[in-house]
Amino acid sequence: MSWRDAIALAATSVRRSLGRAALTVSAVALAAALLTALLTIAGTARTRVLDQLSKGGPLSGIQVAAAAPDPGEIDQDDPKPGRAKILDDAALERIADLPEVRYALPVVASRLFVISPTKMRTREVEPFVETAVGVDLRQLPRLPISVIAGRAPSPRSMTEVAVTEAWLERYGLDRTQAASVLGTEIEAGAGRTDAEADTGDGERRRRVIRGRWMRLQVVGVVAQEAGSGSMLVSLPLARASREWSASGIDGGDAVGLSPSPYAGVLVAADSLDSIGRVRDRIGDVGYSTSSPENLIASVRRYLQVVEIVLTAIGVIALAVAGLGITNALLAAVRERRREIGVLKAIGARDRDVLRIFLVEATCLGLLGGVIGAALGYVAARSVGAVVNGYLQDQGLVGVRPTVPTVVILSVIAGSAVLALIGGALPALRAARLPAREAVGGS
Amino acid sequence: MGRRAGRCGFPAGAGHHGLVPGAEVRVSGLTHAYPTRHGPLVVLDDIEVEIPSGGYVSLVGSSGAGKSTLLSLIGGLEAAQQGVVEVGNRSLAGLSRDGLAAFRCATVGFVFQHFGLLDALTAAENIDVACSLAGLPRRERRRRTTELLAAVGLAERADHRPRELSGGERQRVAIARALANRPRLVLADEPTGNLDDDSTARVIGLLESMPADHGCTLVLVTHDRALAARAPLRLQLRDARLEPAA
Repeated sequence: MSWRDAIALAATSVRRSLGRAALTVSAVALAAALLTALLTIAGTARTRVLDQLSKGGPLSGIQVAAAAPDPGEIDQDDPKPGRAKILDDAALERIADLPEVRYALPVVASRLFVISPTKMRTREVEPFVETAVGVDLRQLPRLPISVIAGRAPSPRSMTEVAVTEAWLERYGLDRTQAASVLGTEIEAGAGRTDAEADTGDGERRRRVIRGRWMRLQVVGVVAQEAGSGSMLVSLPLARASREWSASGIDGGDAVGLSPSPYAGVLVAADSLDSIGRVRDRIGDVGYSTSSPENLIASVRRYLQVVEIVLTAIGVIALAVAGLGITNALLAAVRERRREIGVLKAIGARDRDVLRIFLVEATCLGLLGGVIGAALGYVAARSVGAVVNGYLQDQGLVGVRPTVPTVVILSVIAGSAVLALIGGALPALRAARLPAREAVGGS
Repeated sequence: MGRRAGRCGFPAGAGHHGLVPGAEVRVSGLTHAYPTRHGPLVVLDDIEVEIPSGGYVSLVGSSGAGKSTLLSLIGGLEAAQQGVVEVGNRSLAGLSRDGLAAFRCATVGFVFQHFGLLDALTAAENIDVACSLAGLPRRERRRRTTELLAAVGLAERADHRPRELSGGERQRVAIARALANRPRLVLADEPTGNLDDDSTARVIGLLESMPADHGCTLVLVTHDRALAARAPLRLQLRDARLEPAA
């Protein structure tokens, strides 16, 4: 008997017991839906948690400071840097060329005088000096930056800024009020020491600082670990401000500008496993590094346990559905003893009968798996929407659950395989039935 | 270039008008018992019989006399416990389950009292399944199914399912199916047991024409002594022994 004939006979059998087949498929579909939803939710939660730890950057991210490593702090996730050290283009190139380094992105810091916008004077805030962190915002997905509200500044904008939670706190705002700062304008100026004037007392000299003033619009609120500062700006803006300050007679010393062209470098290793080696190599080049590798590794282990538990729950549900298939097919074998006997009487071999029942079981499992995966997808999206709403109400970054293709394919394939296993016993029993059943048994 | 053999061994695409010689049946020393709580129940005891090629034999006996068991053993539905069963000079002793399946597929056509049709399939599909098991190519299967349905006068009912057919029609479909593999031996187990007189006459007419039209050997098990009397060779089972019928 060909596979085609076996499939046709199995389909005929399913059509005949449509009610039972529908119930069996429903059981498999529900289990597959549960498994799909659990895997999706677990995957999304995992991504969200790790994303939070890495502030949206790569998990294999390493921060290089413009400082030499402190020998006493080696192997710490967040070591205290050693003495300051110039981090320039040559050093950046050396780091980028190291083995197992995927990419290296520079961070430029500039110091700005900030005059608060009128709208934001919820309490008295004096003009202050703040660090603006400039990064290549074209690489936003690769940077440890999570947008909480609004958006990141445009990559080449000279008028846009995003602020951090520290900025909000300065104005007595919390995360849930992040949206209220969007659209406000800040007056910010980079200072340059042009001259030192004699104060006349013979000892003290007065510095003359000129400001390069800009009007910056707050376009977003972000959480960022790219550099130390509560303002995030485009790389060109940070560079221009920095160059202005550095061009003064004191090289920017008066405004607290570091002599290093780059405040840091964000490095991504090829994989989580290679973080340690890359950090060692950067240390050999002479710079201090930090990375939440130990924290991420621990959290990943815990998340993996959660995933295993959730997957086990789904698989148990699927196994129960598989038992349902076994039960349904055993009932079918009991009902069709004579029919099986007749098939054998007209020449069907054991393996032909086995094939018919296995095909029937697999079809039920496959159909249940496809329906279940679709239901699971919908369920995961629905749960995601509810969670998203809650998170946004709490002023947190929302989640968007994505169902990986591999999960869908695995659930469908798993359903089919479990059904095949579940159908094996009835199929074997049917195959071993004596042909004499055709004449009514003895 | 030789013809491609079907799964059962007969040439696929053999001419449908060619007669296949009937199988000679020889049974010797056949004893068969079924286990019960009170010990083995012997239903066949030292059975000896020879049926010539193309012969027509009727077999009568009371209920539980062992008629169906004898038919099962001759047709290879089960293996003999003791004794020899030869069909077409081929002993069934020692054949595996697959070997017996291949023997049934190549040599035997069964007709049952309960018709044995698959309810979910149409008349044509029921015959097609038998053709498929016989290993006929798809095109040949269609041709043979049409030919057989026409031969039993049911060409117009090809797409009807068994529940849409009368008892007599169902049995004619079963006869057509039994002929799908060009059997050398047809075993009919009380084929008219569920039929009215008109249907019985038509079904018996079809069965009795088999030795002449198809060249096969026919063994007919029946309770109906009038029907049994029409066979040239009449046997009856009594007390587990086989003897000529009166």
